Amino acid sequence: MDKSEILKTVNDIFIDVLDDDTIVLTYETTANDVEEWDSLNHIQLVVAIEKQFRIRFTSQEIQSWNNVGELVNSISNRVH
Amino acid sequence: MEQPLNYIYQKIETLSPMHSKKLKKNIAFFDERYYEQANSFFARYINILHHDHKTLDYSIDCYLRMIADVNSETVEFLRTGKYTSSTFAEVNQRVYARPETMEYYMHGLIMSQFLWKHHYQMLQYFTDTLPQYIKATKSYLEVGVGHGLYLSKALEILNDNTTLTAVDISETSITLAKNFIKDSRINYNLKDIFEFNNRKKYDFITLGEVLEHVEDPLKLLQKLKTLLSDEGILFFTTPTNAPAIDHIYLFNTVGEIQDIIKAAGFEIETERSLLSEEVSPERAAKLKIAILYGAFLKKSKAS
Repeated sequence: MDKSEILKTVNDIFIDVLDDDTIVLTYETTANDVEEWDSLNHIQLVVAIEKQFRIRFTSQEIQSWNNVGELVNSISNRVH
Repeated sequence: MEQPLNYIYQKIETLSPMHSKKLKKNIAFFDERYYEQANSFFARYINILHHDHKTLDYSIDCYLRMIADVNSETVEFLRTGKYTSSTFAEVNQRVYARPETMEYYMHGLIMSQFLWKHHYQMLQYFTDTLPQYIKATKSYLEVGVGHGLYLSKALEILNDNTTLTAVDISETSITLAKNFIKDSRINYNLKDIFEFNNRKKYDFITLGEVLEHVEDPLKLLQKLKTLLSDEGILFFTTPTNAPAIDHIYLFNTVGEIQDIIKAAGFEIETERSLLSEEVSPERAAKLKIAILYGAFLKKSKAS
C-alpha cells in the first residue's frame, strides 16, 4: 500500500471518527487545522487506525506525530 | 503578577495543543467561583513549589507527563478492555515504590484538581455537602490522603475541636500533604489501611479515588465500616473506565459501584456521577469515557 492510499484511508477514518465529512487531510495537516482533533478524539483515531490497518503503535509514537504525514509514515513502516 | 491559571492554560496550549482543546471546553463551563478558588489554590501551591526550589513550569511538565501516561493507558484499555495492571504488587513496583514516578504523578494530579472539570465539580460537591455534618463530626479520618487538598478543605470546614487523622501508604503523599496543609492538628499515619487499628471509631471518613487502586474494593469498604461510628458518614469517590498507571480494579459502570456499596453494608445518602469529557451520555457509553462517581454513605440499618 503506498502512502497516498494510506492517506486516503486515514482521511476516511477521520471523517468517520470525528463525524465530519468535510475533512480533507494532507501530509501537512496538524491538530490545529482540524477543530475536533483533540486529545479524546486522538485516542479514538489511534485505535480506529490500528484496527483498520491491523497494526499496533508504540506509546511513544502515539504522542509523537506533529502532522498527518508523520502518522502516515508510522503506518507505512508497518504495512508493506 | 499574572494569574496562575492564565499562565498554566497558555503554557499547555503551547506544549500540547490537542490537550489544550479539552481544557478549553472545560473553561466554557467554569464560573467566577472557580477562578477565585483555582487562583488562590495555585498561589498557595506555587509557594510550596518555590520552597522546594521548583517552579510552576515543573508542575506543568509533571501534568503533561501524567496525561501522556493516561493516553497510552487509554489506548491499551480500548484495545483490551482491561487495565494494564491488576495486582497491588505490580503497581507498587511500577509507581508507589518509585519516588521519581510518584513525584511527577502527585504534582500532575494536583494540577488536575483544578484543570479537569469533573475533579473540580467533585471537590465542590464535597465542600458544599460536608457542612451538613459539622455538628456530628467529632473525629475525621481520610484514607489515601494523596496531595492533601480534600483534607485541607475538611480542616477549613470542620469545627476547631474535631480531631483529624490521615492514613496513606505513600511517604511522598504524606510529605506533600504536610507541606500543603501545614497544620499540627492532623495526625498522619504512614500505613496500609488494613494494618491501621487504633480501636477508635470515626464520625466521618473520606476515601477519595482509592478503590480503583486496590485488588478488593469490597474488602476495603468493609474495613472502613468497622472504623466508622454507628451514625457516621463515609464520603468516597471512584471512577469507572479510567485507565491509569496505578489503577488495578476496573468498574465498568456506575451500577457496579452501587452494587459494591450495598454489598459492603452501606446505603447512599446522596450521590453524583460526573463525566470526564464534554460528550453526550450516549457517546460516553460508546467510547467508554470515564465517569467519576462520588457518594455520601451511611451504614445500612438492615445490615
